[in-house]
Amino acid sequence: MRTSRAVSIVVLLVIVAGVSWYFASHRRSPVGDRVTVYYTKLDGASEVPWTVSMRPQEANESAAEHLQNAVLYAATQAVAGPPSDVQALRFPVGTHVLGASVNDSTATVDLSGEVKNQSAGVLGESGQFKSLVWTLTALPGISQVAVRVQGQTLSTLPGGHLEIDEPLRRSDW
Amino acid sequence: MSRYGVRIGSVLALLIACALGMQAPAPAAERAAFAFDGRTVVFTQIIPQSGGRAISIDDPGLRSMLDRIGATVTWEQGERYILITTAEPVVISFALGDRRYDVGPVTQQAAFAPFMLDGHAYVPLAELLHGLDFAIKPDGGQNVLQPQIASIDIESSGRGAKLIAHAGMPLDARVVSEQNGKLTVAFDGVGTQLERTRTLAAGPVRRMDLRTSGPAAHPTTFVTLYLAPGTTHSAPATDDQRDFTIGFNGVAAAQPVAATQNTPPPAPEPGAAEASGSPSPQMTPAGQVQVTDVTPESQNGTSTIRIAVAGAASYEWHRLRPPDNRMWIDVHAARLAIPPLDETAAGPVTAIRVHQQSPDTVRVALSLAAFDTVAVTPDATGLTVVVNASPADETVARAGAGMTGAQAVAAAQPSPSPGWKFTPQAAPSNYAAPNPRLIAIDPGHGGSDSGALRGDAIEKDLTLDISRRLRAVLVSRGWQVVMTRESDKDVFAPDDSARDELQARDDIANSAGARLLVSIHVNSFMNSGPHGATAYYYKDSDVALAQAVDKRIAAEVPVKNIGIVKDKLYVVHHANMPATLIETAFVSNPDDRRLLQDPAWRQKMAVAIADGIADYAGTPPSGTSINGQ
Repeated sequence: MRTSRAVSIVVLLVIVAGVSWYFASHRRSPVGDRVTVYYTKLDGASEVPWTVSMRPQEANESAAEHLQNAVLYAATQAVAGPPSDVQALRFPVGTHVLGASVNDSTATVDLSGEVKNQSAGVLGESGQFKSLVWTLTALPGISQVAVRVQGQTLSTLPGGHLEIDEPLRRSDW
Repeated sequence: MSRYGVRIGSVLALLIACALGMQAPAPAAERAAFAFDGRTVVFTQIIPQSGGRAISIDDPGLRSMLDRIGATVTWEQGERYILITTAEPVVISFALGDRRYDVGPVTQQAAFAPFMLDGHAYVPLAELLHGLDFAIKPDGGQNVLQPQIASIDIESSGRGAKLIAHAGMPLDARVVSEQNGKLTVAFDGVGTQLERTRTLAAGPVRRMDLRTSGPAAHPTTFVTLYLAPGTTHSAPATDDQRDFTIGFNGVAAAQPVAATQNTPPPAPEPGAAEASGSPSPQMTPAGQVQVTDVTPESQNGTSTIRIAVAGAASYEWHRLRPPDNRMWIDVHAARLAIPPLDETAAGPVTAIRVHQQSPDTVRVALSLAAFDTVAVTPDATGLTVVVNASPADETVARAGAGMTGAQAVAAAQPSPSPGWKFTPQAAPSNYAAPNPRLIAIDPGHGGSDSGALRGDAIEKDLTLDISRRLRAVLVSRGWQVVMTRESDKDVFAPDDSARDELQARDDIANSAGARLLVSIHVNSFMNSGPHGATAYYYKDSDVALAQAVDKRIAAEVPVKNIGIVKDKLYVVHHANMPATLIETAFVSNPDDRRLLQDPAWRQKMAVAIADGIADYAGTPPSGTSINGQ
């Protein structure tokens, strides 16, 4: 009697574990079919949301992979800036995203060297990173953004003001 | 069986919860019913959120409640800012994705940021209600949305005074008793979370007790005022909004605040000083500041020490780190007009000693029972030190300084209304400056780093010029000044990294132990559009300094004022002391550039920054004037 009860408990647990594994591995990406990109207006303070469409999760793509791709895509959009007729603070010409990854709630974005060509003002420098951080932290599960420049961690950009050696959060603004 | 059953059940529940959690469904909306104003209001679009509950701004129950109190909501799909305007009007402003929110002129931090869900904007419920001066109170099986008396303040003017109460709903008051110098006023329908007992500065009203009774849905708050002998008062009056006033000693109840403050105090009359229980400032010999009385009082776990000062005096206070629970308050350039005091006391303050510390400093030293919460508040007639028997966070401020007298009153008058509404301070600094007379000035860029450039306008030269002018003004006012650079050079090394360069500047200010740091910069942008001055801050302790400087720039310098902006700027972040980085104007904008190249304008900017520093830090602590380094 006792043994059969134990056996049934084990069977039950195996079933439950199996079911949860199924859900886990076929978990749907929390990223929807739209991603919101934020651009910093010329006042340096307000963010303008801009919605772009995101391709759905593919059959062989895990939720984590889909999120990482969404981070890369959203960062690329943020760095590229809004259409040219929209007034916004923009990254220096030629800046592009070399790569992106996600670790827990931190998104890491590697920017190309052009980002160092700042115009020496706090306004633009701050607004660019604010746009990037707001965009990526709008994605589910992302709360902070680590910045790399050509794979390196910098304390500040050359001649710059903003501290970028630790992950940036929305609360830094 | 039952034991196993429970275990299996809980394991199953856990696993199923995990499996479901992976699907991450949107949290289900809750319903919450509240008794409000004699009816039941039901919020249907509430969802739990980290640190509290969020409510949709479109919630029909919330909208009906706001209608009832005359508040309106301004928000449209796609907009970031959600504005709730009360009947007063006070604007409560939330921004999607930002934990900061404003109630009138005061910025506060919510438990979580407003967000969008299914096309609705959700805001933090507790913060919204607090902004509207409401509290949630349980009453039997229901919750009550209880209007609160948000503030009761006494405004002194001459021998008279005025009591002003303000609440989330129009106040309905009646005098319930008046005898033996006690006046009790009842406010029906409102509760309060204000402190129960307040001992007030000498004046017609000496003490105020607050008591709320009755069920939460029908509360009555009794305010008992202890009056000085011979005090007369007007009939209670209410304006058409939510203010309720009583005037004392001839001050009209409904008299506008500004008018009473501009009235010069009446000439001293014989006996008037005795009647108000406080020495009158007019009785002091001209030019001599005196500490005329020190009265400790303890009750209900609170010690209140009233330091009466005749004349305007600068003061500073310090407390030691726990476990050494001592603190002292120095009143500068003052004489002790009473015999020295050395006595033990019961309550959070266990001993008090008052003596003439040096020929021009009166020291009030206190021994505390524990590292308790301490507040030092200046006013027109002295200082009030309140020690509460509640443990203070070890990171609280351990030093402070300011002015008593008219300056304290002026500083306590915030510009935008409603000024007297409870005014949270920007977070105090826990930094006790080793040299409280020293100001650090950082001229931005320099040497191999020119900063922003447009034609012959070069940032590093402009920042050095403004910094030198600022130093001259500060030194003339008695401050010591340390500059991170005095000439056109790199502070760390030529062609160094920006981090080394900025850290070297912080190192100079930090090792000198300066009271505060101001970094002077010139802004730039890729096109000529943006223009104006900005005061940047990062640490909570920077806010008050940035605000003070920005306010003076806005008032005194002809340049657009962008205001104060939070930004993780290296030089501000790594300064131990309160710091602000001033972007004085945009070199990339032709009009701003013309200003920057005008020496008279740069002088105005330097004076405005110095004035802001004075508003923030008062006058330099006493001592002979020493020239800057």
